[in-house]
Amino acid sequence: MALIEKTDIFLSVIEANKGIIYKVANLYCKDLEDRKDLVQEIILRLWKSFDSYNNQFKHTTWIYRISLNTAISFYRKEKVRKKVTAPFYDSIFNIADFSGVTQTEQSIVFLNQFISELKEMDKALMLLYLEEKSHKEMAEIMGITETNVATKIGRLKATLKDKFSKVEI
Amino acid sequence: MEETNFVLLWKEQYEKIDQSLTINRQLLKEVISQKAESTLQSLIRFKTRGIVAVVIYLLLLGILLFYAITHYSSAANYFIISMAAIFVINLKALYDYIRHLILLRNINYDGSITEIQEKLSNLQQSIIYHIRFMVLQIPFWTTFQLSDKWFPHDVSWGYIIFQVLLTASFTYLAYWLYKNLTLENVNKKWVKGLIEGSGGKSVIKAIAFYKELETFKQVS
Repeated sequence: MALIEKTDIFLSVIEANKGIIYKVANLYCKDLEDRKDLVQEIILRLWKSFDSYNNQFKHTTWIYRISLNTAISFYRKEKVRKKVTAPFYDSIFNIADFSGVTQTEQSIVFLNQFISELKEMDKALMLLYLEEKSHKEMAEIMGITETNVATKIGRLKATLKDKFSKVEI
Repeated sequence: MEETNFVLLWKEQYEKIDQSLTINRQLLKEVISQKAESTLQSLIRFKTRGIVAVVIYLLLLGILLFYAITHYSSAANYFIISMAAIFVINLKALYDYIRHLILLRNINYDGSITEIQEKLSNLQQSIIYHIRFMVLQIPFWTTFQLSDKWFPHDVSWGYIIFQVLLTASFTYLAYWLYKNLTLENVNKKWVKGLIEGSGGKSVIKAIAFYKELETFKQVS
């Protein structure tokens, strides 16, 4: 495949799946500059792996795997500016920022906050759940069994429910 | 809150973003063209300080060694043997370290998350073994200044005993450090201090993550 043709196909794949990269970067990096670095690194990893893309998997599975693997490794680097935002409970003054916003918007803020407090692997699984992936696809991306996926999703949902009940929106 | 609401909230959050998200194709093309840059170049930029320091150190040692060999005299035997040992140990450690970083960087990330993360954290953790290899040079720093011209025949017994004790204690120190610079001890203050700046923080993070990964894989 000629380089120009390969670049064009690659760009179309990225264009069609840009939301995945955006969401993964947003979930794992709260600092804007870190997020830009992470997006670039994900794109580079995807490009590097594009030649060996295995048709057995969907494009989305391939992109989720590379994006999540890059994001999870990214936080272990020496110079990441800030891993996650401070937990909600540690910064009580943040509540003032919510005045005037609707109940749904508040819920979104809390949802993001609670997901950011999850461990790296759980965060990845939660993202796949929220993106309504099937248990089979989640198992393929994560490399665990479907039974394990079901158990873990159940627990994660219970954890989030519990956290939401404490803030009583 | 009902379970399904999490998904609805998530959708609501990204609905508008999904519609308005655009890609800067020019920048994206620039990013992928960076790939042409050699892996080694980018690695050297990434770990510049450590690698450049060891390369300068090796160059200095190499120059000294070259001078001693080209102007050979039996008086320099201790110096040549000691410097050669120090040079070889550092060269091997540097070679292994760079090879390891290239290996780490060239892992294809398209495998499942648990498989790739396990591979990555294993590799990151084992960087500590290259660092500990360098402590083997310690005893040779106690013998390079000796000369066949005056040692041992022209020195007192006191000096000989002092020299033997010095080399023996440094040999023991090197052995002890080699034995104790392990992953199990990485959380000890002195180990952290020693490996800091040589990828030490990544090693510590990799160990913590490895534990998280093991727990994650378990079905319970």
